[in-house]
Amino acid sequence: MGSEIINVENLHKSFGKLHVLKGINLTVERGEIISVIGPSGSGKSTLLRCLNHLETADKGSISFEGEYIASVDSEGNSVYKKNREVLAICSRLGMVFQNFNLFPHKTVLGNLIEAPITVKNEDKQAVEKKALVLLEKVGLSEKKDAYPGQLSGGQQQRVAIARALAMSPEIMLFDEPTSALDPELIGEVLQVIKQLAEEDMTMIIVTHEMTFAREISDRIIFMDNGTVLADSPPENIFVKPEHPRIRQFLSKMLQSDD
Amino acid sequence: MDFDYLSGITEFILKGTGVTLKIYAVTLVFSIPLGIICAFGKISRFAPLRILLGAYTWVFRGTPLLLQLFFFYYGLSALTHGAIQLEALFAAYTAFVINYAAYFTEIFRAGIQSINKGQYEAAKALGMGSWQTMKRIILPQAVKLVLPPMGNEAINLIKDTALCSIITVTEIMRNAQVTVSRDVRVEGLLIAAIIYLCFTFVIIQVFRLLEKRFAHYKN
Ligand SMILES: Nc1ncnc2c1ncn2[C@@H]1O[C@H](COP(=O)(O)OP(=O)(O)OP(=O)(O)O)[C@@H](O)[C@H]1O
Ligand SMILES: [Mg+2]
Repeated sequence: MGSEIINVENLHKSFGKLHVLKGINLTVERGEIISVIGPSGSGKSTLLRCLNHLETADKGSISFEGEYIASVDSEGNSVYKKNREVLAICSRLGMVFQNFNLFPHKTVLGNLIEAPITVKNEDKQAVEKKALVLLEKVGLSEKKDAYPGQLSGGQQQRVAIARALAMSPEIMLFDEPTSALDPELIGEVLQVIKQLAEEDMTMIIVTHEMTFAREISDRIIFMDNGTVLADSPPENIFVKPEHPRIRQFLSKMLQSDD
Repeated sequence: MDFDYLSGITEFILKGTGVTLKIYAVTLVFSIPLGIICAFGKISRFAPLRILLGAYTWVFRGTPLLLQLFFFYYGLSALTHGAIQLEALFAAYTAFVINYAAYFTEIFRAGIQSINKGQYEAAKALGMGSWQTMKRIILPQAVKLVLPPMGNEAINLIKDTALCSIITVTEIMRNAQVTVSRDVRVEGLLIAAIIYLCFTFVIIQVFRLLEKRFAHYKN
């Protein structure tokens, strides 16, 4: 703990005329678990996607372990490193998508070993051994030869988590990992994330699961309309939210959360 | 039934299969790679190339293949005042390769573009470069998607080779026509039909097997 892993300063991002991120500052320390909550369209996914360069920031800097992926010029515009270097840094961040995005033409094991072999040139046998350990961890050892299309949503998402872990990432990014799942399958995925929390994995989780966020997080970031309205421990958000926007959002969420 | 007559013309018409199959093979062997290359050009970020290839596929898919055959056989020679006179078979190769490559370009482009954006993002998030992503993630999935339209083209092609009879290429159809006009009997057409049906049967089986090889997963 205590060492900074991600630092974002004054991040701006627009899609055409739509100003989606309006000056985000964010620091993540190693071992921290941060949940990002907020209304739909507030820019949560965009923020997460800027961190591993699935979106390109317009203004502001992003650094990973002190190394700038994007630094700023004299006018504050983002200046990215060379594509290859950015890709290499971003491969140290694991990402889990709402829609899993598993490779349908590869088996579960094939999905896990693909990137370690092609990106990190790791030895195939060693990678397979590690992949089997990861599958065991997410409870899917017996599915190693199945294709993603043969699995339930919850199983697919657990494979996706294992696939990201196979790259030995230093931080995991989750973008609404349970939003595409039937209610009865949400638990098994959250369970895996909790297990990662116990192992002190650094994580940023965009989620609409308020109870889970409160339970697991060291900090909650509340986003609204492209800005960070609050960045504080869960109690401050859930017990005594100061901001009326947050109160309004939470009462709506907790109503639908039965 | 006149078996002597039938076996006589069958032997004669079958002499055209070699040429038919040559046109078929040459067209596939050259138009598929050409189509792949043009498909990449059509999805490239270089707008002039995309426009150029758009014009190419429009012209060659938008005009009759027969007209294109005439162009390469008669037209080129007329335009160049006889400086370029392609031999009939070579004119056929040229027209067929360019025409079919236009169709394959569109098939491959559509195949590549119908792969979900999430596949690119997942690969990128894992640190895979764009070439690795194309080779290991996108193309293998695109192959499965393009097989059915490829099968259609493979069947169309064997039938389209009959057009070459009009520019004097002595393939199956040409020979059948010769028996018809020479003997004033139509059995030659029946024989030709049976030969084409045999070829399409084989092509259908080949594609059925290929599709089966990719049936183990859902896109
Ligand atoms: N690629 C894009 N092109 C254009 N607009 C986009 C794009 N991606 C996101 N947006 C827009 O940017 C805004 C923020 O989107 P974002 O996905 O970051 O919101 P979010 O907070 O994750 O919302 P949700 O809770 O619905 O997932 C939305 O208005 C969205 O429509
Ligand atoms: Mg989102």
